[in-house]
Amino acid sequence: MSLPAHISLILDLTPVPWAALSRASPPLALRSFLAQALVFLHAHLALRNENSVSVFGALPGRSVGLYPPVSRGSRDRGAEEGADENTFHVFQQVDEGLMRRVEEEVAGLEEVEEDAPPALVGALTKSLCYINRLANPPPPLNPTDAPPPAPHARIVLFSVSPDASVAYIPFMNCIFSAQKLKVPIDVCKIDDSEVIFLHQASDLTGGAFVHVDQREALLQYLSMCFLSETETRKTLAVPTQDKVDFRAACFCHKEIVDIGYVCSVCLSIFCKPVAQCSTCHTNFSPDTLVRFGGVGMNGHGASNGTTA
Amino acid sequence: MPPRRDADFIVTDESDPEEDILDEDYVVSRAARARKGKGKEKELAGESRKAQEQAYAWEASYKRSWDTVQEDEAGSLQAAVQDLVARSKRRRLLGGNAPIRRTIIRHMMLLMDLSTAMLDRDMRPSRFDLTLSYAREFVSEWFDQNPLGQMGVVGMRNGVGERIGEISGNPQEVQKCFAEKAKLEPAGEPSLQNSIEMARASMSHLPTHSSREILIIFGSLTTVDPGNIHDTVDACVRDQIRISIVSLSAEMKICRDMCERTGGVFGVALNEGHYKDLLFELVPPPAEKSSVSRLAAQAAANESELMQMGFPTRLPITSPPSLCVCHSRLRSEGYICPRCNSKVCDVPTDCDICGLMIVSSPHLARSYHHLFPAPAYRAVTELDGSEAPTCHGCSLPFSTATRDRNVVSEEGMSPFGRYRCPKCKHDFDAECDLFVHDVLHVCPGCG
Repeated sequence: MSLPAHISLILDLTPVPWAALSRASPPLALRSFLAQALVFLHAHLALRNENSVSVFGALPGRSVGLYPPVSRGSRDRGAEEGADENTFHVFQQVDEGLMRRVEEEVAGLEEVEEDAPPALVGALTKSLCYINRLANPPPPLNPTDAPPPAPHARIVLFSVSPDASVAYIPFMNCIFSAQKLKVPIDVCKIDDSEVIFLHQASDLTGGAFVHVDQREALLQYLSMCFLSETETRKTLAVPTQDKVDFRAACFCHKEIVDIGYVCSVCLSIFCKPVAQCSTCHTNFSPDTLVRFGGVGMNGHGASNGTTA
Repeated sequence: MPPRRDADFIVTDESDPEEDILDEDYVVSRAARARKGKGKEKELAGESRKAQEQAYAWEASYKRSWDTVQEDEAGSLQAAVQDLVARSKRRRLLGGNAPIRRTIIRHMMLLMDLSTAMLDRDMRPSRFDLTLSYAREFVSEWFDQNPLGQMGVVGMRNGVGERIGEISGNPQEVQKCFAEKAKLEPAGEPSLQNSIEMARASMSHLPTHSSREILIIFGSLTTVDPGNIHDTVDACVRDQIRISIVSLSAEMKICRDMCERTGGVFGVALNEGHYKDLLFELVPPPAEKSSVSRLAAQAAANESELMQMGFPTRLPITSPPSLCVCHSRLRSEGYICPRCNSKVCDVPTDCDICGLMIVSSPHLARSYHHLFPAPAYRAVTELDGSEAPTCHGCSLPFSTATRDRNVVSEEGMSPFGRYRCPKCKHDFDAECDLFVHDVLHVCPGCG
């Protein structure tokens, strides 16, 4: 059999869209979503003894690790004592650890931060750091022990909010790192907002992209589309996005553009012709500006060259 | 040639005065390799016996690493070795903050020495085999970091330059140059001048806003040139071609001069690992700092252009087939031009209908980490008790054991294994520090 698998779950825990989802028809409350996600994790853990999971949450403006729990000696022992003999202890660990942390984090949310976009990039980077650690474990104390084989890791990302184009460059960097680590990013889109960067993420890393049309059947989607291992997927038809939109966000207004103006020196993208590159401070020749028209009308701190 | 001594390689007076220079160099580089001792226990333990006084300049940069290695309570060197490994990793990171202005669209000619000097076996399995395998890795890494770059390959043998691969932007095509070993079999003498002239000619048509570079992997200590090589160097300076040389044998004045005058980098490989380090230092785009390239930047400043580019939508393989505008063939896959909605087969390209340059935005985005690098982390040397117990990246707890301060306080190592982001003030461990700056290029705390 192949190597063990690791799933890193990334949950978008922004309160506003979740509140909207719980009122939408069909409704999907955060609590029922978490219950279904836990069943999915159980299924993954039950497939093989060595399989492992990690869960990261993206909250407005910050990201947190939700599972595995930070070991704090006494607390762990307390959980051990309360163990239920009728439950597989790994399941119980995940259930309790994850629910407790989510409740802590959601309860700790403050009014002010609710408007900020979810820190998906932070959660992704943490997840990638964790996967990198799994791939390069610290050398064992006893050098005769062979280190455990690195698991096949993949990331499953649940998205409920639209793209944050402000984080375009860090997000793309995450995609390239995932490519380098050979980690596919699966995207499960629960609401109906447009997410072209997540399209690109799943496309570039070879992951699945699923838009959940019928929310009552979320668990069905999860187990059919995301449960198969990376090795098994070669023989399965994993749902991907049919059209991939390769648009980018401009550097000046963070708008998503399909035709952009690109600096020939540093490849910065602008949505309108500018007289000077804001990244590398190159002055563009007046001829090109005249050619594209509308010179410096939107001057982004660029003053020279506009008179030409 | 006398048979080479593999087991012990002490340079003594009894060495044959007629021993050729390569052989002597071989001895020296072997000693250097053993001395550098990349953290291998065995070498470290048995090395002090072989340590000798040698009056070479390069020795000054070497510390007697075996003196600093200390056994732990159990008499094991494991901890010390791990420390050395961590330190050598860290050294790469200390390169300093990257300047914002780097050349993104690069053109490089790779000049490979294919003279008989490459058959030398001072590097395992041989200079030639090692160069081939490193060249393959170099090409894939280079295209990974410079997705818009182009590379060509020229071989130097039998006194002429030999075009092995045309300048191309496709990594597979460049890789193919190194696939057939039999075609590259080393022979004769190399000619620096001939090969540089050939490389220069193949880059003469390039636009001004692109950078031109020549990378020479040079194993020989001689060159046979038809004319004055200084004229060639002058021409390169005029054309703003940057020449970098990785020498496998020893420093030659002409090589160093060439690199210094054109703003390139010169290095002599001491061993296999150092050879790779030297080569891979040339992967990231060079910063615009030397006088030569500043001229280039000034010249480019007047001619640098804003390019209009379109980011297409890709049609899936399951879409209904339609004719493409480039080959008029019936296909289902393709890219839709955002301006005129015509379908082209592949990107990057110019739209055949409206002339818009169509590129896929991830291609551009690959180079953005050079423009916006992650801030370099600082080693934490003092604890005040308020630190987070776990690494902010991978959530693993920091080790509580403090290493010996006197040993690790140098070279930006933290005695606690903590590295702090100057922006978000979060702590990261050494492994995550390395990963963030080498691969991710985003700080998990700031992102």
